[in-house]
Amino acid sequence: MVSQQLDVLVICGSLRKGSYNAALARTLPSLAPAGMKLRAAASFERFPIYNFDIQNATGFPAEVVAWADGIRSADGLIIVSPEYNWSIPGGLKNAIDWVSRMKDQPFKDKPVALQSAAGGILGGSRMQYHLRQSLTSVDAILFGRPEVIVTFAAQKFDERTLELKDQTAIDMIKLQLAGFEKFIRRVSAKG
Amino acid sequence: MRATGARYSPRYFTDKLENVMANLNIVSICGSLRKGSFNAMVQRLLPSLAPDGMTIKPAPSFADFPLYNADIQNSTGFPAPVNTLADAIRAADGVIFCSPEYNFSIPGGLKNAIDWVSRLQNQPFAGKPVALQSVSPGPVGGARVQYDLRRAMMFLDAFTLNKPEIFIGSCASKFDEKTGELKDEATLGFLKQQLTAFASLIARVAPKS
Repeated sequence: MVSQQLDVLVICGSLRKGSYNAALARTLPSLAPAGMKLRAAASFERFPIYNFDIQNATGFPAEVVAWADGIRSADGLIIVSPEYNWSIPGGLKNAIDWVSRMKDQPFKDKPVALQSAAGGILGGSRMQYHLRQSLTSVDAILFGRPEVIVTFAAQKFDERTLELKDQTAIDMIKLQLAGFEKFIRRVSAKG
Repeated sequence: MRATGARYSPRYFTDKLENVMANLNIVSICGSLRKGSFNAMVQRLLPSLAPDGMTIKPAPSFADFPLYNADIQNSTGFPAPVNTLADAIRAADGVIFCSPEYNFSIPGGLKNAIDWVSRLQNQPFAGKPVALQSVSPGPVGGARVQYDLRRAMMFLDAFTLNKPEIFIGSCASKFDEKTGELKDEATLGFLKQQLTAFASLIARVAPKS
């Protein structure tokens, strides 16, 4: 059963400090509807590269367990990520691969919305469609539309403060977050 | 095992192969780090299945790569293991990926390795012939990892071999898990065909002197 105010976790696919996607993720709390509270997920920066032998010998690393717990406890997830080489950043995919091996797999039945920012005309959309593919494998419940695809990011964020200043993008994000709130309430287990 | 285009004949464009094929050095990259990996078993088999003149060696490991972060690249440069892998790819005449599929796509660790080397000047996959193989316990045989790898390789300007494709599904019944021996004759035949076709692709796309 979902809480009155939804607890939504935001995962950023880039580890770079000056990342446009990290900037986008930081913008979200101010654009969220009243019924949704956003918090940033722990970093997956220290995850080792997935190796079944590690899992077998010493179990899941503590950082992986903490990250999975953060996902499990949330009512929904928003993944904000750049596109690397026409697909999902390896680090983000590695994080998904780790937790996908857990019992009580954290993405299962979890509502997920996607966002991306990128320098070019496609705005990271190829990454989003690959994420949809992988998140289908882990049984997430994927939010459809509206999509948030921030194209030509360099023109839409303030060069110095990295604040998102593009009104069209801001309006689209508000629409998505409002839609995502309704979506979570609709698909969540009825208690 | 499905191998579409199994009747594909490498003889189709072998006119001037002899010179180029005399000495082909290939590196193989395994997408799994697990010791008992079925994909690593295939990787170890490849040298014995290669056509005359083709040498196949495992590439240096990406196990110790940090997760890609442009801030690391900018502050301390590319980590040594990244450069080692990139150099091995650059020095090779071609690259063979043997990879499992994780969550309907490329294993994060393998994608992370590709993401790192993609940022190097003299990007190592540019113009590089690439062949794909995957092994999995299920019926699909890792097809999705291959199509996602194809996309990433296309972005990086590699020449990826079209056919024959090697999808080794239901692997538990095809390998001796203790010895790593591949017992399935049909699969062995397809692997040989692919390596021969790969030699042809390399010859075809090699820079003309």
